[in-house]
Amino acid sequence: MKFLVTLQNTKFSSLVLLDLAYVVVLAPLLLMLKVPMLVFVVLVVAILVFSSKPAKSWLIVVIFMLGGIAIYLSLYGAFSFRGLSRLKLFLELLIYVLIVVVSMQRLTREINIYLLLSPFFFLALSLFFFYGMLMLIYVIFEVFFLLWMILSHRMQGDILEGFRASMVMFMYSLPWVVVLFIFFPRISFEHASYGFKGETVQRMGHDGTMYLDNKALLVPSDRIVMEVGFEKKIPASHLLYFRGSMLYIDKKNHWEPIPSFVKRKEGLVEHKVNNEKTHYSVTLYPTQKKWLYLLDIPTQAAKESKLDRDLISTVKRKIREPMHYAAISTLRSKFYDTLDDYTLKISTAVHVNHNPKTLEEVLKIQEIHHTEAKRANALVKFFQSQSLTYTLKPEALDINHTTDSFLFDTKKGYCVHFASSFVTMARMLGIPARLVTGYKGDISNGLKNYLVIKERDAHAWAELYIDKHWVRYETTSTASHIETQAHSNQTKDTQNSMSSPLMKKINLYLMYAKYQVETWILYYSNIRQKQLLGYLKENPKFIFIFISSFITLVLVTLIFTVYFKRKVYDNKALESVQAILKILQERGFIRKKNETLHQYFLRYCEENVDKEAGTRLITQLDDSYEKLVYADKPTNLALKDFKKLVKKATKFKTY
Amino acid sequence: MNYTISPEFIPIIDAIEVHLIGKRETIALSMATFFAGGHLLLEDIPGVGKTTLAKYLSVVLGLDFGRIQFTSDMLPSDILGINYYNQKEGSFVFKKGPIFSSFLLADEINRSMPKTQSALLQAMEEGVVTIDSVAYTLPQPFFVIGTQNPHEEVGTFVLPNSQLDRFMCSFGIGYPDKNSERIILQGIKDESTGKIKCMLTNEEIKMYMKKASMVTLSDMLLDFLQDIITYTRESGVFEYGLSMRGALALVSMVKSWAMMQGRTYATADDVQMVTSLVCAHRLVFKEGKTSPKRIYDEIFSTIHSDT
Repeated sequence: MKFLVTLQNTKFSSLVLLDLAYVVVLAPLLLMLKVPMLVFVVLVVAILVFSSKPAKSWLIVVIFMLGGIAIYLSLYGAFSFRGLSRLKLFLELLIYVLIVVVSMQRLTREINIYLLLSPFFFLALSLFFFYGMLMLIYVIFEVFFLLWMILSHRMQGDILEGFRASMVMFMYSLPWVVVLFIFFPRISFEHASYGFKGETVQRMGHDGTMYLDNKALLVPSDRIVMEVGFEKKIPASHLLYFRGSMLYIDKKNHWEPIPSFVKRKEGLVEHKVNNEKTHYSVTLYPTQKKWLYLLDIPTQAAKESKLDRDLISTVKRKIREPMHYAAISTLRSKFYDTLDDYTLKISTAVHVNHNPKTLEEVLKIQEIHHTEAKRANALVKFFQSQSLTYTLKPEALDINHTTDSFLFDTKKGYCVHFASSFVTMARMLGIPARLVTGYKGDISNGLKNYLVIKERDAHAWAELYIDKHWVRYETTSTASHIETQAHSNQTKDTQNSMSSPLMKKINLYLMYAKYQVETWILYYSNIRQKQLLGYLKENPKFIFIFISSFITLVLVTLIFTVYFKRKVYDNKALESVQAILKILQERGFIRKKNETLHQYFLRYCEENVDKEAGTRLITQLDDSYEKLVYADKPTNLALKDFKKLVKKATKFKTY
Repeated sequence: MNYTISPEFIPIIDAIEVHLIGKRETIALSMATFFAGGHLLLEDIPGVGKTTLAKYLSVVLGLDFGRIQFTSDMLPSDILGINYYNQKEGSFVFKKGPIFSSFLLADEINRSMPKTQSALLQAMEEGVVTIDSVAYTLPQPFFVIGTQNPHEEVGTFVLPNSQLDRFMCSFGIGYPDKNSERIILQGIKDESTGKIKCMLTNEEIKMYMKKASMVTLSDMLLDFLQDIITYTRESGVFEYGLSMRGALALVSMVKSWAMMQGRTYATADDVQMVTSLVCAHRLVFKEGKTSPKRIYDEIFSTIHSDT
């Protein structure tokens, strides 16, 4: 409280207010400044702190030169004419120059228009570097703070009054901001590249090729690859297969897709769909790859992407910025297709001699079973009988005989090894088969309609062509053991941060909230607007919820406004007596300029002796009013009584 | 101005009014000054009853009365007392001056030299007299009524502002109104009421003084008071603003006046009543003549109490 009192008595000069504004807007930018520039900023601050006089012109020249050196050192290596085509480098340079210029002007201790405007430039520029949830909150704070500082400046540095006024202004404007926000969608920075190049952040976990040896890209991390929002509830875990890429060619130690120069018949194979369609939207973080991930089986291509005949969807350019797309799929494990010659050839190609032990088994099955379906079932049974172990830390396989090595020697592996062996054996049996890689969603990472796909969800499975349908085989489910020990070893690093299921749950809730805000606030666009309108059409109930929550917001802001509004009367008795004064004034009994209320009431009584009831009431009012305002510690009860009396007096007609 | 004097003080005022007809307000304000623990400066032309007021007030309050008639050749020792050589005893003996009384009338204070004036005023402020490095405490309560002729009179020494500050209140008595004047001119005097006697004991005086100091000042009233004080300092119409001593005097006087009306709290009316009295000898207009009425108008046309 003492602090508040001091604050009340302190009047800040314009320079101090400006400095405070700079501290707030520069705070996020300090996180991105390079060391030389930071040193420069510290130097300037030190000069400002230790010298209270305006800097001499030689010092400003020195600062200018130091600033130049700091910029040079900060951008050393990154700077080239070509480098400037990267948006962020360009903006970084802009910020550095602005900092140097502002420092020079600030050292003169004179305020000019550029010094006043620069906080807003800094605020705008910082938005290019930080655009997450936290920054959204911070920007709201910054806008409020700058408003506060401006108003305080206008109020001769009285920051408490400034706070009150800016709070009222802020609260008045909040509902309007919401209205404007809903009706005027805007393009987010994320989607606009302004002709600059993107940055290189990448998500791993799924690659175009699939290695079986120690090169295998196994990243069991919790980094988020994509966030999926379903229109309805999340489907069951066994339906959450996100197709990534399709691999056909066995290269001993790895599998490859069909080379890009091979031209196959284009187009989606039409098939009857009876299943329910699932609508969902995906936020895909930069992967530096071209694949979009769609749930099995996608019914149409997502925006800007192409769906090939293997139902793999790709975009033209590598994904360098977070991408948002809506998609529709029917959740099935098989789909109708006709094979062209090339596909048939490539999906049955197999090196029979590489895996002699496997060949023996294949021959056994071929003898017993004669249809493809039965052979496939036998294959699954064979896998189950091999007592294979699922582990994330398998032993090294013999690269020349990978299938033999896995099925008969090590018997340990993860999805890649299971799927690869399964496909190889299927092909030996004469069934066209291929490998699919992608992600398999884990429902424990979901909440309501929101699902997170992490790098650890990367997965591979097999597809066999049986009876003119491609059928999905979850090959890892044939494992007899799951080595959890190895599994938990792998996740040790992440377990520290989420030691208990409760923490995991809380974390998930936080991410869900973040996702909702991002979807509906940060990435609110005309598409979202249309989506919202469509949703409103279908759910009239939601209009009611929407309007009522808007009204609640208005009410809340109103409460804040009233709370922070400057009170006209400090004293409650004085406030309530105004009703009577108004009535008396309306009756033509005007209060004189320097009359106290007591004198006013007395004068009334003297001038209106004939109106006995009126004067009696006024005298009574005068007495209790005087006690309330001047006497020692009036009780709440007395105030209540007084208010009753005022009410009674206002109802009295013949004054 | 509207006020109702508390019934307990009515007989006292009545008793004095017999000798100072039509001056009830002046009598009441003088008593308020006394209970506030301050000193009073009566400023008026000769022959309107300054001395009469002082004399009868002292009788009613039952205080031992001392009087000094100031002249231009007076010395400080005439007021304070002197150490003289007693030949019989062969040592110096201190002879107390007239200041060693509870109720002192300093008549025509501006007729004496500044040296003598300050001897009195220092004693008034500190309640202690130091003669030949021996400190003598003045009796308690100690109340001084100074009377002063308007400055135009020949042969007067103007009291400096710093010394005037030591008086809590200053007002004139003024001519009586028509009705009162007629009664005085008729010379009707009731013999029985003419005899005036002590009406308050020492304990009662102390009790009233304590009561006056205990009067509540609400936050709103303090706001009002501070507005007034700030205005005198910052408006620029006065040579100097109210000193801190002046501000304290204003508060004491407001409290005492509230007590005189039998209240335990002070109101904005009280402030309006006493402000010009407390300020009249403290504030000087930069332009034009200073008078209590003008001070009142100047302050209260700008500073309003909403209450």
